[in-house]
Amino acid sequence: MSAVAAKPTAGSAMNPAAMAIGGVMFLILIGICYFIYPIGVMPLILIVVGGVLIGFGVHFVPVGGAPAAMGQAPGIATGVAMLAAGGGLAGLFGGAWAAAAGQDALVVVITGGIGGGLMMAITCMMVNFVYVFGMGIPAASGKVAKDPITGDTQAEYKSQGTEGHGLPFISFVGGVLGGIFAGAGGTLIYLELLEVYTAALPTVMGITATQVVPIAVSAAGMFAVGMFLVNAVLTAYNITGTIEGPHDPKFKRWPRSVVASAVASALCGLVAILIVAM
Amino acid sequence: MTVKVEVIEGGIPHNKIMIAGIVSTLVCLYLTYLNVLTSTEMFSFFGGLAVIAALIWGSHTIKVLCSYGIGTGVPSAGMIAFGSGVIAMLLATKFGFYAPIVAAVLAAIIGFILGYVSNNILNMKIPAMVQALTEMAVVGALSLMGFAALITGGFTFAGLTTGHVTVMGMTLLTHEQSFLGGCLIAVAFLLGAIAIQHPFNACLGPGWTQDRMLMLTAECGFLSMLVAAIMSFALISTGSALISLIIAIIGWAYTYNEYMVLSKRDAAAWLDAKPIPEVEGH
Repeated sequence: MSAVAAKPTAGSAMNPAAMAIGGVMFLILIGICYFIYPIGVMPLILIVVGGVLIGFGVHFVPVGGAPAAMGQAPGIATGVAMLAAGGGLAGLFGGAWAAAAGQDALVVVITGGIGGGLMMAITCMMVNFVYVFGMGIPAASGKVAKDPITGDTQAEYKSQGTEGHGLPFISFVGGVLGGIFAGAGGTLIYLELLEVYTAALPTVMGITATQVVPIAVSAAGMFAVGMFLVNAVLTAYNITGTIEGPHDPKFKRWPRSVVASAVASALCGLVAILIVAM
Repeated sequence: MTVKVEVIEGGIPHNKIMIAGIVSTLVCLYLTYLNVLTSTEMFSFFGGLAVIAALIWGSHTIKVLCSYGIGTGVPSAGMIAFGSGVIAMLLATKFGFYAPIVAAVLAAIIGFILGYVSNNILNMKIPAMVQALTEMAVVGALSLMGFAALITGGFTFAGLTTGHVTVMGMTLLTHEQSFLGGCLIAVAFLLGAIAIQHPFNACLGPGWTQDRMLMLTAECGFLSMLVAAIMSFALISTGSALISLIIAIIGWAYTYNEYMVLSKRDAAAWLDAKPIPEVEGH
C-alpha cells in the first residue's frame, strides 16, 4: 500500500445505525423496482441473493497479500479483489456454458459453483506446491493452535517472527468453499439478468428473439462482471488486507459485508433492470 | 485507519484536476457528436481523448484514496471504478444525445451510495472515501463511453448494439458485429481498468511526484487508445480508424518519451531522499 507499512485497523465493530439505514435503502431500491417494472422484482431479489453469496463467500478465501509472497503470512499471495475475480469469473464462465447448453436454473448455478470451487482448488494446490517445493516452507497457521478440521498442531511448524506461512488445510478448505459460493453467486446474477433481457429486449429494440441473443448475453455478462467486482471490492474493504480463512477472527465481520452486498447488489441490479424498463 | 501516510507537496490541487477532468471529458465526448452532424466517422478519435482526460483525473483520485492505506491494494480501486461505471454507462446510453451527462449523474449516484456503504456499513471511516468512490464511478462510466465512441463512432444504445456487415456487395444489419453484441465492451473494460490503476501502483512511495504519475497515466491511456483504435477498424470506416490509430501512436510516443525524461529526473533526485516522515497519530 504505502511506504510506511501502516496496518489498517478499521475496527471489527458493527455500526447498528448505518446497518439499519442500509436495510431501509435496500427496501427503497426494491420498492422503486416494484413501481417502475413489477415483473423485475423477483429477478432483482435473486440478484441480491447472488451478490450476498459473493460477499459472504469471499470471506472464506485465504488472502495473503504481499506478506504471503515473502512467506511471512499464510494465504495466497495476492489481493482479495484479484482472488475473488479469479475464482468467481471462472465460475461465471462455467455457469454461462451450462446456461448456453439449455440446462435448468439449479444445474446452471451449481455448475457455476463447481467452476469457482475448482478454480480455487487448483490455485490453492499450486500455491502450496510453490510454497513447499519452491520456497521450502511448511504450511502453518498463525491464528489458531490446532487446525479445526484435522486437529494438527501448528506452533511447531511456525517460524519465529512470522504470522504463519503456507496454506494450512483449513485455509485450503476455506478457499474451495469461497470459490463455490462466489461462483454460484456470480452465475445467479448472470442467469437472472439473461432471463430478463431475453424476455424484454426483443420488444424494447423491435427485433427478433434470435437477433437479441448476442446482445442479451453480452449485456448480462458485462453487468454480472461489474456487479461481481463491486461486491468483491466491498468485501475486500470489509476484510481490509489479509484473512486466513473461516478460522480467522476477521471472519466474524461477515454480517457487515452481507448488508453492504445486499445494498450494492440491489442498487446495481436495479440500474441493470431499468435498461429494459426505460 | 485514518492515518494519511503521503502528503501532496506542491503540484496541482486535486479539485482543479477534477474540474478540468470532467469538463474536458464531457467536451471531448460531445465533440464525437460531430460524427452525427457531419454524417462521417472522422471525429471518433475524440472518444479516445475523452478516455485519457478521464483516466488522468481518475488516477489522481486513486492517489487521494489510496494514500490512506486502505489495505486492499491499489488495483481494487480501479476494479470498483469500472465495475460501478459500466452499469451506469450502459443505462445512460439509452438517453441518446444526453448520454454523457446522464452517465455522469447516474454514476455519481451509484458511487455515492457505494461510498456510504463502505464508509459507514463497512466502517472504513476514511474521510476521502465517499468523494473518491463517487468520482471513480464517474470516471469509469465516462471512460467506457469514450471507448464506445472511439470504437463505434457514437454513444447511443442503438449505435452500440447494431453493426453492418457487407456480404457480396450488400450491406446487412447485424447485432453480432457491434460493440455490445461482440462483447468488445469487455476488452474496453479491462483496457480502462488496468490503465487507471497502474500509474499510482507503479509510482507510489516516498519518491512520488505528481507530474510523473500523471504522465504515466497519459501514456497508459494512449496505449489503451492504440488497442481500441485497432479494434475500431472492425466497426467504423478504415480512414476514420486510421486517424485514431495515428493520433494514438503519436500521443503514446510523445508521452512515453516525456515519462522517461521525468523518470530519469526523479531517479537522480532519489539519492537525496529523506527518511520517511513519521505522521502524527501513527
